[in-house]
Amino acid sequence: MMISIILNEWKILVRNQSIVYVSLVFMLSIISVVWMGNLQSKNQSQAQIAAEKHIRAQWDNLEPMNPHRAAHYGVYVFKPISILNSLDDGVSSITGNVLKLEGHVQNEIVHSEASQSIAISRFGKLKPSTILQYMVPLFLIFLSFGSISNDKETGRLKLIALQGVSLEKLVLSKSLSIWLYGLILLIFSIVLQLLLGSSSADFGTRIGFILISYGLYYFIVVCLSTYMSASFKNNTSAISLLLSTWILWTIFLPKIWGNTVEKVHPLPSRQNFILQMKEDRSKGIDGHNPTDERRSKLKEEYLARYNVDSLSQLPINFDGIVMQADEEYGNQVWDKHFGNNYLIYQKQKRLYQLSGLLNPFSSLQNLSMGFCGSDMIHHLDFLKKAELYRRYLIKTLNDKHAHGGSKTGEWRWTVDNTFFRSVKTFEYQTMKIKDQIENYYIDILSLIVWALFSGFLIRYKIKRDIII
Amino acid sequence: MSKYLDILKFESFHFINSPYKIISILLYAISILYGCQTGYDLFKKHNIEIKSIKSKNADFEKKMLVQYDELEQGLIEKPRRDPTIPYWAIWNTPSYALKSPSPMIVFSTGQAEQYGYYKKVTNWSTVFDNDLAEEIANPERLALGTLDFSFVLLFLTPILLIILLFNIGGLEKDNGFDKLIYLNDFSKKSWLITRFSYYFLVLFTLICFLLIPYAVLSGVFTNELMSFFTLMVLIFLYIFLWVSIFYFINYWGKGSVDQAIKMISVWVALSIIMPGFFHQITSIKFSTNYMVDYLDVARDQRYEIFDMSTDTLQNELLESFPVLKSSVYAQDTTINKGIINRSISGLVNILNKKASGKIEKESELKNNFVRSTLLLNPIMYFQNKINEVSKADYYAYRLYRENIQNSIDKKIELILRDTWNKEEVDKERYIEYLQEFKN
Repeated sequence: MMISIILNEWKILVRNQSIVYVSLVFMLSIISVVWMGNLQSKNQSQAQIAAEKHIRAQWDNLEPMNPHRAAHYGVYVFKPISILNSLDDGVSSITGNVLKLEGHVQNEIVHSEASQSIAISRFGKLKPSTILQYMVPLFLIFLSFGSISNDKETGRLKLIALQGVSLEKLVLSKSLSIWLYGLILLIFSIVLQLLLGSSSADFGTRIGFILISYGLYYFIVVCLSTYMSASFKNNTSAISLLLSTWILWTIFLPKIWGNTVEKVHPLPSRQNFILQMKEDRSKGIDGHNPTDERRSKLKEEYLARYNVDSLSQLPINFDGIVMQADEEYGNQVWDKHFGNNYLIYQKQKRLYQLSGLLNPFSSLQNLSMGFCGSDMIHHLDFLKKAELYRRYLIKTLNDKHAHGGSKTGEWRWTVDNTFFRSVKTFEYQTMKIKDQIENYYIDILSLIVWALFSGFLIRYKIKRDIII
Repeated sequence: MSKYLDILKFESFHFINSPYKIISILLYAISILYGCQTGYDLFKKHNIEIKSIKSKNADFEKKMLVQYDELEQGLIEKPRRDPTIPYWAIWNTPSYALKSPSPMIVFSTGQAEQYGYYKKVTNWSTVFDNDLAEEIANPERLALGTLDFSFVLLFLTPILLIILLFNIGGLEKDNGFDKLIYLNDFSKKSWLITRFSYYFLVLFTLICFLLIPYAVLSGVFTNELMSFFTLMVLIFLYIFLWVSIFYFINYWGKGSVDQAIKMISVWVALSIIMPGFFHQITSIKFSTNYMVDYLDVARDQRYEIFDMSTDTLQNELLESFPVLKSSVYAQDTTINKGIINRSISGLVNILNKKASGKIEKESELKNNFVRSTLLLNPIMYFQNKINEVSKADYYAYRLYRENIQNSIDKKIELILRDTWNKEEVDKERYIEYLQEFKN
């Protein structure tokens, strides 16, 4: 019975020329948007790879240099575009793209795309996610708001009821037929993306999750729209309430809640952040201050360890040892302060995710960015891995400085580029989504709860007397 | 005339008796207050931070002055970074480039969250330094954007208008008595225009009424009266634009539902699709700048300078700063490595300026392209205009970068002048330095 109703609804949809035209417009929009998204990702990726090669070539061809000087020379890493940037670029245009990794300091990523021009949009670039998050649900509302009320107004519903059709099944079938329409547009976008994207297992898993998330959201939108259509006396009331809900979900609540979480879990101001780090940092060894007390302590320790009287008798370069001690202390300070910020970010994210219980659109947005690898969690992962690389790089340079054959105070001692070339390049690998799925449990749960609730409304809350 | 007044009178009855319209307008008013409060919080936050920097600088200045007193009285030994040497004295002269917020930021936070607004300037600084990064903020929150007044005006006003206007003329069509109305000695056009004017006036008055307290609170009337007036003109034109669009939709509409669907579709197209489309096109045409030219200067070219011999550096400095030729040191026949080493930042600064000029040029090309699309992207046209009057747009921050550069130049100029003239810095000279960099 339900299949017959769905087929019948589809026949009605296909017969409606305006729906056919709108569907064609949608398909063409999706094709062009996916194409543009991929082109933009390709261009940006090429620019990023070129910048990376340029910087690495400079490192590989360094003139003979003291390792500590090379630590100040540092390297630059460029944030690669996310795995599914062409589908949803999330926070990418807001965050910086260039990070300098050098000795003595953990820098912050700078030069965001947003800071390089006047304002162009408030809802981001036109990506497939824009169409799938804003346009398709709106169109599904337009298709479903009159699905029952029209039949009610024309008296068709009474005829159907007289033929013994279960009203719950009828409403559910109508919902499913419209949901399937949304699903086709979604699958169409995903297939296009698959044709243009990579074919790794992680990519497939991410696409799968995206499909499920959007599918659930469309189900919620369609079920609620059909329910309202069934519950209200006329189309005008149904569409008014549905549009108000859509506006509340997509425009109003995300911003209000986003601003609120920042107030609930405030971040330190940059000035205080830097000041506190400086204060903590001053309690450790200052590698560049020869009169530093802590440096003297370390000196005594090394003299005793090697059983010698002066630094010049040491078989190693004590300057390198001091620099690494300085670095290790600094790392603890960075971990404390940056770690604290990351913790606040996580708390803010969790609180924001909870808004999904009121607003499934927030959950969808979170999941879309997350599965496309362009959310804050992926961004922080990049920063953490870049910092780990910085520590490896500086330690390698300090070790060379200390144990490479020079003596304390030989600041003119150099190493050639054979050594610099032996230093590994920073290669960022996007984390596997299956290892990170726990970060998205709240969003997934919210969508599931909403889907169950919407289904429940259709199944148990349709009152025969209201409909007829 | 009285018939139009009657229409207005009946419209106000209709409005007062429509609970969902009243609720919508109340929610809208709350959004405006929330938006203004967000802007006002940011205004206060920036001012507090700036005040705190100034106070810390004042403390540091006091400490330095005491140090000079003690040095002059022979109470302490000269520290490692000898403050009687011009280089270290200038290094220890607190000089922050600060971008004080305009009170108009209360109405539009603009791009303020994408840039830093204070920076410690040294002779080694550049306008793209790491410490000029924006305030620490959750990137996801930044991507969502701030619900400031400009957002409420640009995106929620049309939505409110949809709620207020979708059944104007539509309800009559739904019930099939629209033709009866036109029998009453007025045209469909004038009937609709009069009804639309009612909501136009209500909305504009409401906005003015709600903005004034925040304007008073932030000192707009004393400091930015013209900007506020420009904002009011922009608000007027913006509401007029949407009312006009919706008027045509209703004029040709087939009923409330048809009108509502068309209105929301136009809103989605103009607010989300068109800006997003042009944003994407701009990104394709101008890929994200990875600042490679700047990085080359910051690293490679800077190190090339460091590797130059002292006499080459001296020649380069004399060529780049001809004023040094008449300095005391320039008359010496012996080379002083200390003086040259303390002057190197002058040469690096020249390279930095070249690189940053190139980056600014590339950004300007991008801006020109964006501007050429604004005719088809009217919402972002208004957004940028509002950001401009709030002094929170790209150009306000470019001006700020120019101020930073001027400060760097001044530092270098002083270092070179006093180092090459072999000046010794005492308390009096240090106070002169402080005056040079007073904010």
